[in-house]
Amino acid sequence: MTLRIKKNRLLLYAGLLACAIVLPFVVRDPYFIGMVNFIIIYSILCLGLNLILGYTGLLSLGHAAFYGIGAYATAILMTKHGFSFLPSLIVSGLLALFFGFLLGLPTRKVRGDYFCLLTIAFGEIFRLVTQAWINFTGGAMGIVGIPIPELAGWKIQTEIDFYFLGLGLLGFTYGTLHLLTESKFGRAFVAIREDELAASVMGINTPMYKILTFSIGSLYAGIAGSYLAVYQTTVTPSNFRLEESCLMIIMVIVGGMGNLAATFLGVSVMAVAIEFFRPVPEYRLLIIGLIMILVLLFRPQGLLGASAFKD
Amino acid sequence: MALLETDRLWKKFGGVTAVQDIALSIEKGEILGMIGPNGSGKTSFINLLSGIYRPDKGNITFIGEDITGLPAYHITKKGIARTFQNLRVFPNISVLDNLLIGRHCRVNNSLANIYLNPFLSRKREKEAEDRVIELLDWVHLADRRKELAKNLPYGEQRLLEICRALASEPQLVLLDEPCAGMNPVEMDTLAAFLKNLRDRGTTLFIIEHNMRFIMSIAERIVVLDAGTKFREGSPVQIQNDKEVQRIYLGEEEDA
Repeated sequence: MTLRIKKNRLLLYAGLLACAIVLPFVVRDPYFIGMVNFIIIYSILCLGLNLILGYTGLLSLGHAAFYGIGAYATAILMTKHGFSFLPSLIVSGLLALFFGFLLGLPTRKVRGDYFCLLTIAFGEIFRLVTQAWINFTGGAMGIVGIPIPELAGWKIQTEIDFYFLGLGLLGFTYGTLHLLTESKFGRAFVAIREDELAASVMGINTPMYKILTFSIGSLYAGIAGSYLAVYQTTVTPSNFRLEESCLMIIMVIVGGMGNLAATFLGVSVMAVAIEFFRPVPEYRLLIIGLIMILVLLFRPQGLLGASAFKD
Repeated sequence: MALLETDRLWKKFGGVTAVQDIALSIEKGEILGMIGPNGSGKTSFINLLSGIYRPDKGNITFIGEDITGLPAYHITKKGIARTFQNLRVFPNISVLDNLLIGRHCRVNNSLANIYLNPFLSRKREKEAEDRVIELLDWVHLADRRKELAKNLPYGEQRLLEICRALASEPQLVLLDEPCAGMNPVEMDTLAAFLKNLRDRGTTLFIIEHNMRFIMSIAERIVVLDAGTKFREGSPVQIQNDKEVQRIYLGEEEDA
């Protein structure tokens, strides 16, 4: 029976992949593809955040900072040091991982709300540093003129090119996170979320796992940031405000915490809502807040609750 | 050699001495009971043994090895598992996952394995799953393995918590009031289960308030009073000890 479910799942994945590849050739509207690219970036970000928030239960309001670290790393390496895209991408990811590790260290002593405050502080410090350190980050003007990325001779220029690059990165993100969450590591993260003391009695090295979840979750934010840098060709501090972190948290909650596949739904719903209400920017935050309140009232476990996708 | 030995164990919280100079040994293959009035330091003692508290003074030796002050996860890996007084199963996840988490430290999978050799890692996960399903089969919970832990009846949640401890293949299991909140029938089932467990070679250390229960299954009983070891002896000796009756039953009359 399980074999059959697995087969069905494989078919589902294959079908989704086929649709994803055909999509840009069917819908050629660059506006639409641009929006899908936006969804892809936020999916990568929110998948990483879901590991931290949804699986391990650590509330981090500093995710945008890791996104920014990745974006600035790529921007600086490519404009000032002549790096090509792939090494910049790797360095960006690893740098975000390293800062995630550093910010994860205090989880050993600082808990709950206090840790959340620490992540807000980290995010704000990052943004202020990028604004003030003009020689290095370009200050409020940011970094402009990031060159066209190239991967093994493939010049990534059009919306469709970026769509496929994003799809590849998203596949990497989902695949690696799927392997992780379906292993003893994923269970350990969930155990920490459910009851940290009991988890440690189960033989789980809880301090180590919390640092690990933070490092790994941040890695993907770095990757998303790197992608953003080459996609926008500019990065500015305003890309990485606290509001961005909040939006990511809302996307994870609306989709369903502790469920990777649900993240796509949460991101898509919020992205469509944001697009839809673009003509009335003064009400946008209000409406985003309203959506979240409605979801929390009627489906507190998110649109796809934690166990909805489990076979 | 005793399986576990404590030597002059002390634990203070501010001005309160919760555990005072306790020396006791747990022999391999026995069921050792611990009783004592509320606040006599029983749970603090189990917290010391399982690494949740660090002793201020004294030593804990497990199979000849000093384990004093090791963190809880390390002690579990050494072979001591425990349950909690107030039930602490993971409520929002399945029965099977509860047990798999219990088995965490025996699943030999590294990050490198998971990313670079997913087939091997998958195989090891499957092995772990087979082992815990065996365990569930034994306690007749196998066909409910996909249910969320919180949806099981209370008695079965208690059983699940013990099984979760067993999933780590411990040599010693510390049970903190295993039959709290159980009805007499569930208690008898639990007693039979624990005896069966002991016959299979697992050593048990049980804190319990229910006299009928603890007298029927423990071979030796330690009485705590105000953080110190007050008496130690067979159930019959303890039952007939006038001093124990005074500190223990006397309090129940007042209550």
